[in-house]
Amino acid sequence: MIRLQGIEKSFGRHPMLKGIDLEIGTGEVVVILGPSGSGKTTLLRCLNFLEKPNAGRIRVGDYEVDCRTAGKKEIQQLRLRTAMVFQQYNLFRHKTALENVMEGLLVVRKLPKREAREQSVQLLEKVGLGGKLDAYPSQLSGGQQQRVGIARALALNPEVILFDEPTSALDPELVGEVLSVIRKIAKEGITMIVVTHEMGFAQDVANHVVFMDEGKVVEEGHPNRLFSSPKEERTRQFLKRITPDGVYSI
Amino acid sequence: MEQEFDFTYVLQFIPKILSTLGTTLTIVGGSLVLGLAAGLLAALPRLYKIPFLRRVSQVYVSFFRGTPILIQLFLLYYGLPELLKQADIDLSKTPVLVFVILTYGLHVSAYVSEMIRASVESVDRGQVEAAYSVGMNGVQAFTRIVLPQALAIAVPVFANLLLALLKDTSLAFTLGVMEMTGKASSLTTLTQHFVEAYLSLALIYLAVCLVLERLLRVLERRLLRHEARPVPAKSFESWRTKWLPFGLPQAFKLRSKGGDA
Ligand SMILES: Nc1ncnc2c1ncn2[C@@H]1O[C@H](COP(=O)(O)OP(=O)(O)OP(=O)(O)O)[C@@H](O)[C@H]1O
Ligand SMILES: [Mg+2]
Repeated sequence: MIRLQGIEKSFGRHPMLKGIDLEIGTGEVVVILGPSGSGKTTLLRCLNFLEKPNAGRIRVGDYEVDCRTAGKKEIQQLRLRTAMVFQQYNLFRHKTALENVMEGLLVVRKLPKREAREQSVQLLEKVGLGGKLDAYPSQLSGGQQQRVGIARALALNPEVILFDEPTSALDPELVGEVLSVIRKIAKEGITMIVVTHEMGFAQDVANHVVFMDEGKVVEEGHPNRLFSSPKEERTRQFLKRITPDGVYSI
Repeated sequence: MEQEFDFTYVLQFIPKILSTLGTTLTIVGGSLVLGLAAGLLAALPRLYKIPFLRRVSQVYVSFFRGTPILIQLFLLYYGLPELLKQADIDLSKTPVLVFVILTYGLHVSAYVSEMIRASVESVDRGQVEAAYSVGMNGVQAFTRIVLPQALAIAVPVFANLLLALLKDTSLAFTLGVMEMTGKASSLTTLTQHFVEAYLSLALIYLAVCLVLERLLRVLERRLLRHEARPVPAKSFESWRTKWLPFGLPQAFKLRSKGGDA
């Protein structure tokens, strides 16, 4: 289970998150929607302390921290329980696909090399890259890189995987392969929080949709309900703007 | 009186000058070690944005990059003993070579510090974030992710720096150090064959530079093997096969190992 309470974050004097509360059950797939600049990325990055929140509490699984007082140890504990898939993939450039997935297992989890390798190969096969183990990121397409990114996140066996617009840097024809991998792991009951503009994906994979605007959660609920009868005017306007040409379905 | 040009002198001079190659390489090696260490130290306050030290490091770097190396040599050689005399430290018996290595070391460290700063800063911020996101700590992220990538970026800069250093050591003879230039200069006084002496000297510097360039290019290809299109290692290779019929010793033949693709 993941629980956020009163998360606040400002950049300088500009408040970006103004008290976010959110509860996410184990195995849930949450999609966060919202206009550009509404704080979606910032919220995800607060969850693993790539940005340090100014206030609030974060609970991931059995671990809870007070953001104000969290030190190195607490942050490390949070990061061990979360994994992130980045918009720009951020694969380690000097490591092969296999090494990218193994890195966390070796360095952080301290697994023996053989075991780390075995697990990593399996995960790469799962995302359809069993034939690209020794390719460097620069030799892979965007879609392939992102699937390595997903395998790297899965390897850590985290409580939750955070996806920040995992397909928005991709050429349109590569979006499908990445979404279908995410769909596949969603079905396995891995908890995930996904920031995306892919409404089709939100509609049929998410069990919970959160609409954010100006650093606040405006409305949340089951996708069927939220998409068909949004309660808030801002949600309605946003959906109207994004749906006509934003629909994507596989 | 200047003598007429006679190529046999070149052949005669080369081994004589080569006998002092060791001294030149000692200066290069010594100042490189010192330069790398001091350079890293000077780069840290700027990388970590430590308020006051950062300024100090900037001034230090500006001084050694902004003044001629010859003047730095004189300042350290004549000035440092004077300064330390106040503290009752006697440097009058210290070998000249120590001052020379110290000067070149500090000089190089200024460039090394800039090189380190620039190459570390040019590693994408997302790399560190990815490292953190998988649970690495700061030290792990730096040594396992940032450093290897920064090194690869730094090699071409380092190559320039090293070649410049090698050539700069020719100024050490102004303090009477018998390195290659000093040796060549003494040969001219002895024989009056100026052109032959300096031609021999030039050929030796050139040869050493070519060897170093070659080694560094191999290193660069190695460190950049993850980039889809590695830096071309061809230019010198084709030049060599075209213009140097004898080739270089086997040791420097490029072996592009399987993994370099
Ligand atoms: N480190 C930072 N320092 C200052 N401002 C920042 C920083 N990071 C983000 N911002 C600001 O936060 C705002 C963007 O927030 P965020 O990236 O969370 O929005 P988003 O909802 O993810 O938007 P998008 O849909 O465009 O990705 C921008 O106005 C940006 O200038
Ligand atoms: Mg964003």
